Amino acid sequence: MTQPCAHIIDDDEAIRDALQWLFKTRDVACATWPSAESFLEALEPGWRGCVVLDIRMEGMSGLECFDMLRQRGNQLPVIFITGHGDVPMAVAALKKGAFDFIEKPFNDSDLVDIVMRALEIDANNHRAETTRETVEARLATLTAREQEVMELILAGKFNKVIADDLCISMRTVEAHRSKVFEKMEVRSAVELAQLVNLVRNRTPH
Amino acid sequence: MSGRVPCSNQRRRTLSPVYEAARIYYIVDIHNTPHLPPPMSTPQATALSVRQRWLTAVPYLTVLLFLAVIAALVWFTRSYDEEEQRATLINDVLWMEQNLQFKLERNAAQLAQIGQEILAADRHQPQASAALRQLVRAENGLVRVMWLDATGRLQGALPPIGDGEMLGEQLGEQSAANLRLAKALERRVYGPVYAAAGDRQQFEVHVPIYAENGFVGAMIGVYSLHDLVTHELPWWFAERYRVSVHDSDGRELVAKSKVAPLSDRQSYSMAFDPPGGGLTLQVTAYQGETRWVQVLLIGSILLLGGILVWSVLQLRRELQRRHRAEQALRSESLFRRAMEDSMLTGLRARDLDGRITYVNPAFCRMVGYSAEELVGRTPPMPYWDPEFLQQTQEIHDRILAGDASPEGFELRLRRKNGERFDALIFEAPLIDAAGRQTGWMGSMLDITAQKHAEELARQQEERLQATSRLITMGEMASTLAHELNQPLAAIASYNTGCLNRLEQPEIDRSELKDIFDRIGRQARRAGDIIRRVHDFVRRSEPKRERLDINLMIREAIGLIEADSTKRGMRIETDLEEALPSVAADPVMIEQVIVNLVRNGMDAMRDNPPARRTVRVSTRREGDTLVVRVADNGTGIDAETGRRLFEPFFTTKAEGMGMGLNICRSIAELHHGRLGFETNPDGGTIFTLSLPVETP
Repeated sequence: MTQPCAHIIDDDEAIRDALQWLFKTRDVACATWPSAESFLEALEPGWRGCVVLDIRMEGMSGLECFDMLRQRGNQLPVIFITGHGDVPMAVAALKKGAFDFIEKPFNDSDLVDIVMRALEIDANNHRAETTRETVEARLATLTAREQEVMELILAGKFNKVIADDLCISMRTVEAHRSKVFEKMEVRSAVELAQLVNLVRNRTPH
Repeated sequence: MSGRVPCSNQRRRTLSPVYEAARIYYIVDIHNTPHLPPPMSTPQATALSVRQRWLTAVPYLTVLLFLAVIAALVWFTRSYDEEEQRATLINDVLWMEQNLQFKLERNAAQLAQIGQEILAADRHQPQASAALRQLVRAENGLVRVMWLDATGRLQGALPPIGDGEMLGEQLGEQSAANLRLAKALERRVYGPVYAAAGDRQQFEVHVPIYAENGFVGAMIGVYSLHDLVTHELPWWFAERYRVSVHDSDGRELVAKSKVAPLSDRQSYSMAFDPPGGGLTLQVTAYQGETRWVQVLLIGSILLLGGILVWSVLQLRRELQRRHRAEQALRSESLFRRAMEDSMLTGLRARDLDGRITYVNPAFCRMVGYSAEELVGRTPPMPYWDPEFLQQTQEIHDRILAGDASPEGFELRLRRKNGERFDALIFEAPLIDAAGRQTGWMGSMLDITAQKHAEELARQQEERLQATSRLITMGEMASTLAHELNQPLAAIASYNTGCLNRLEQPEIDRSELKDIFDRIGRQARRAGDIIRRVHDFVRRSEPKRERLDINLMIREAIGLIEADSTKRGMRIETDLEEALPSVAADPVMIEQVIVNLVRNGMDAMRDNPPARRTVRVSTRREGDTLVVRVADNGTGIDAETGRRLFEPFFTTKAEGMGMGLNICRSIAELHHGRLGFETNPDGGTIFTLSLPVETP
């Protein structure tokens, strides 16, 4: 299940089947689950794609399932399918961070569009995630001295100033600098700054 | 619905404040209460009580005065009596003294006469001796007579002087002196008293005797003082008085006494002269014999006086008792009046003819008429509501006939200012102390507010029930919608998928066929849901029985009769006898009839009482039985008529709009019809026709 796909969770078999057929005709990969419990049981952290979740189900409800997902740190986009009377519930879910909701009976094309958008966003997220992980891995290879030097480079200081600050020779600074560039696989200080910022900006989240 | 308060509870709860308020508060402002005597502290009352006190004191004063006067009278009588006694005593004493003197005088005269004969004639004549003997007798007080010659020698004595007697006794110094004195004075001289032998007191009288030749001697009479006093006194005198003789020193020399002690008060002393020489004669009255009449008189006066005082005291006590009882009675009656006046329940008493004899202030407040306006009135009463006059009169007649319901009855009455109010009235026979019924006692509560509250509560209840019914229905509809949504949504999705496929150049027919199969399956599924709903509805199919429609109508009317009476409605029936039976569900038919009658009553809500009748009739018309429910209500306009049987259509504020719809469904379930037409008398006639059961 490493391929991104839409996870359809609905207790009604006909709905699952129909949606699967619909997605298939639009070339959207999908998986179906007869209940929230079975989905959560099978769920692995690396899964990509989105979740189409019926709010009213036997057993665990859609909202409960959504809460469980977020508790586990899973950030998959979730699209709710609601009945006529469940709109306030769906709005509450939106406020909690659901991707979207669609009211039943729905325009099937709209649903597929929403799902495709969700898949795209998830893919973007995934890419960003991957980059971040790479940068972090490269940063991890730096020595303490190299890190110090890198911070000063990021602060926009010249080698001479860095040498004075750290009470080392210009030549040593240059050696560290080239080492940092090498390890971080960048060619310039500007590139380094972009790369590090990618990580630093996300860290607070 | 379990959370709703049942109606009866509601009623009890809303009524309770009245009963609460009907409790009597005993704080009574006596000053403001009419018919009461002024309180005892006013000056007038004080004056009155002073007079009363005087009045009550008069008998005692009179009795005391009477007793005092009687006592004074007795005292005066007694003192007068004593005075009388004293006068008698003095008289008697004087008489006695006179008597004694007379006797002494007589004796002396005789002694002189005899002395003449003995001494002057000097001869002892037998007559003289006889005369002497005659003289010397105890009656005369003389114990001895002696005679002396001129020289003073004893010539003789009678009785003769014996040996045992000393001569000196007779002729002592004193005697000689007396003799000389007598001789000198030429008249008789009495000697002093001396004690003689035998403890006797004696005195002497010396009588000088003269002849032609002068003094010839003397006769000496020796008196025994005792004899003189004793024998000289007549018996009646001795009976009454004690007579004693005292010498100058006050010593008692001789006394004639029968009994002692003596009263000093009734005594009298006088000089005993002759013989004189300081002798006093004292006469003391014996304690007079007890005067029984007087004692009895005084005794009976005292006794009667005592009885009088006692009876006055008794009377006074009785009076006080009566006064206390009166006071208690008055305070009791005040208390009762205060109770009646402060009660919030209206009280009204009527005699057996229905004439009002008593009303309390609460009653007056309720009806707005004063007690003067009400007492003595006969029905119809001014506070009867003219609209319910006939009804009220009927109830009134029933009460007078002794048919009063112990639960009381509700009546709509009218205040003087025209305001209507609902009253709860309890009637009970008024029994007097002798156990006879003298009339009717009624108590009245104003329950307008309660009824209003009850009505509000009832309406609210109805609205709540309607709402909850709506909610239930809404839930059902929502479930149904969800159920139907599922297959429909699936069908739509399949359909969109198919459309998507059809846009692609190559079409996999078998794949599409499979999907269309699934679409068909979902359509069937939706159909099944609809069928289930039908099944659910079919479950309420009528359970048909052979029914007597007239009986059904009577039972239905029985169900709503209480309600109709409360709302002042009448239900009249005009049922054709011997109708064939119908095959129908009794509960459903009953419901239809109840519904129609209730609708009729609702339509006549604002009618005057005379036009508040629902008429229910049955007729056979060919193969159908027709039940007509006619009212004189507001009628049905064309627009309403068109929508009358639509669900959720209603003209009533609290209506659900399902009643007539259900009725029509029931009629159709029984292969009958429900219709309506305009009543020629005003209002509407609903017609339920049911097919006659075919055997």
